[in-house]
Amino acid sequence: MITIAISKGRMQDDALALLAQAGVQLSPESLASRKLAIEDGNGDYQFIFVKPADVPVYVEHGIADCGIVGRDVLLETEADVLLPLDLGIARCRLVVAGKNEHVITRAFGMLRVATKYARIASSHFGSRGIPVEIIPLSGSVELAPALGLADAIVDLVETGRTLAENGLKVIEVITESTGRLVVNRASYQLKAEEVARLTTSLSNVLEGGTAP
Amino acid sequence: MLLSKLPPGMRYYLGAEARLRRRVEDTAMSVFEGWSYEEVLTPAVDYYALFERGMGVTEAQTSFRFTDNDGRMLSLRPDVTSSVARVAATLFADRERPLRLCYAAPVFRQQQQSHAEWRRENTHLGCELIGVGGDAADLEVLLLAAEILKAIGLGDSFCITINDVGVFNGLISDLNLDSASRESLRRLIDTRDVTELQNFLNENSIPTSSRESLARLVQLTGKRNVLDEARSVMTHANSLATLDKLADIWQVIESLGLENSFEIDLADVSGLDYYTGLSFKVFVRGVGYRVGRGGRYDGLTANFSSAEPAVGFVLSHDSLVELLGRNNSTDGNGGRETRSVNTDDLSKNFREALRRRTNGEQIRIELKR
Repeated sequence: MITIAISKGRMQDDALALLAQAGVQLSPESLASRKLAIEDGNGDYQFIFVKPADVPVYVEHGIADCGIVGRDVLLETEADVLLPLDLGIARCRLVVAGKNEHVITRAFGMLRVATKYARIASSHFGSRGIPVEIIPLSGSVELAPALGLADAIVDLVETGRTLAENGLKVIEVITESTGRLVVNRASYQLKAEEVARLTTSLSNVLEGGTAP
Repeated sequence: MLLSKLPPGMRYYLGAEARLRRRVEDTAMSVFEGWSYEEVLTPAVDYYALFERGMGVTEAQTSFRFTDNDGRMLSLRPDVTSSVARVAATLFADRERPLRLCYAAPVFRQQQQSHAEWRRENTHLGCELIGVGGDAADLEVLLLAAEILKAIGLGDSFCITINDVGVFNGLISDLNLDSASRESLRRLIDTRDVTELQNFLNENSIPTSSRESLARLVQLTGKRNVLDEARSVMTHANSLATLDKLADIWQVIESLGLENSFEIDLADVSGLDYYTGLSFKVFVRGVGYRVGRGGRYDGLTANFSSAEPAVGFVLSHDSLVELLGRNNSTDGNGGRETRSVNTDDLSKNFREALRRRTNGEQIRIELKR
């Protein structure tokens, strides 16, 4: 049996739809239940539903053999896992946003950056020699510049609507993020056949262009 | 500061686990001895410069460092291999080759808390075979590693993945990549990041022929057929020669009926700066990360004197003990019978105690509280 950790929230429905097309089905009853760990009908797969940032933790420790999680989370956690498949779901951009494009160059002394992605933000500015003060927040990051907590933010943007409504615009795109299939290094070798079966059927679905 | 608190990454071994730990170490050391490896004990504290030479700067920087009275930087040993290489180049310089050396010793590294390998003290069970190269030496250490894993009771639950850095190095030898791009490429292949690898190949305008082989490399994990597949997509002479060498090794593994314990993984390009030929990793069912690694590092002794062929490996004693302890939780005194000796008449009863000890019996003196 293979255990798959799935990010709760944004990505969950797309991930499950994709898995269903690849022949990995969960019954509606088990999905409706509030259990955090459920098995598929054949007993080939176990699913666990955890917060996005916890997916790499479960996979890195080998408690889950595979996981489905955004690239943004993988970059931020620097998890040591294998990334054999881009699922193309939950596509979005990781951006620097501010009131206008001058905030980066005009900041006096330190640039204050509010973000949920402290590591990505500090390496993004660090590699260009811009000194930054990272202000770690856990949500509603878009508020920070309006209230004067920060000059800019680093955040995930899908449509850009939340940014616009809070008077912010995208200044730089750091990178793109999509949902990825990640695999534990030991499981990749020790459960080679099962992992290959899963990746092959998922990539067949993706190549068939029937992905959600 | 709480007296009860241990520093992160440090731990106790008590009772049954301590006994298991000793048993695993004894078993490994007796297998080493069975292959004529001689035990070496190296200092726990040594000059930091030694490890910088032996492991490279990045790895050496994980060590716990402090300064000696004269201001030179010292380090708790982060590996044993560096020290063994120095012994080979100095005290054992005139000894007949090959040298077969083994050890069981704790090493200390600063680790990121969040990573699965959280230990900062970890005993390495390892060996080095120095002075003679070739397939026979490579096979010797591979089979030795497999025998230890079987001897400690992991019969069919381990997998040793083998590769040779020559395959990847051959593929990139005429691409003229700077060291940063080479490192990005290495990391993308090592993590099997197909999507970003494709982006990298496009952005760096890699020639079509190399592009196909690099893109395929990430999927080349498996048994013998992997080598045939690799041959069909690779054209570089050095890569092809390396594939022949791996095929020879695999041939022997198959002829010994050990192919279920081994796997070829051409995408394992994790130790390029260190290994010069064979490289391998050890995975065990129940542990999410590798429990051992090894390979050939012919460049290592060149850091201390002249270059000599060298191959070796380490197994993480702590990871193995933790796994085995989870699988079979034995308790009590390890199954030995104990004789109680009371203390009513000290002379008489201690005479009795000594007699029993001479017979090799386990005794327990009943002390009155």
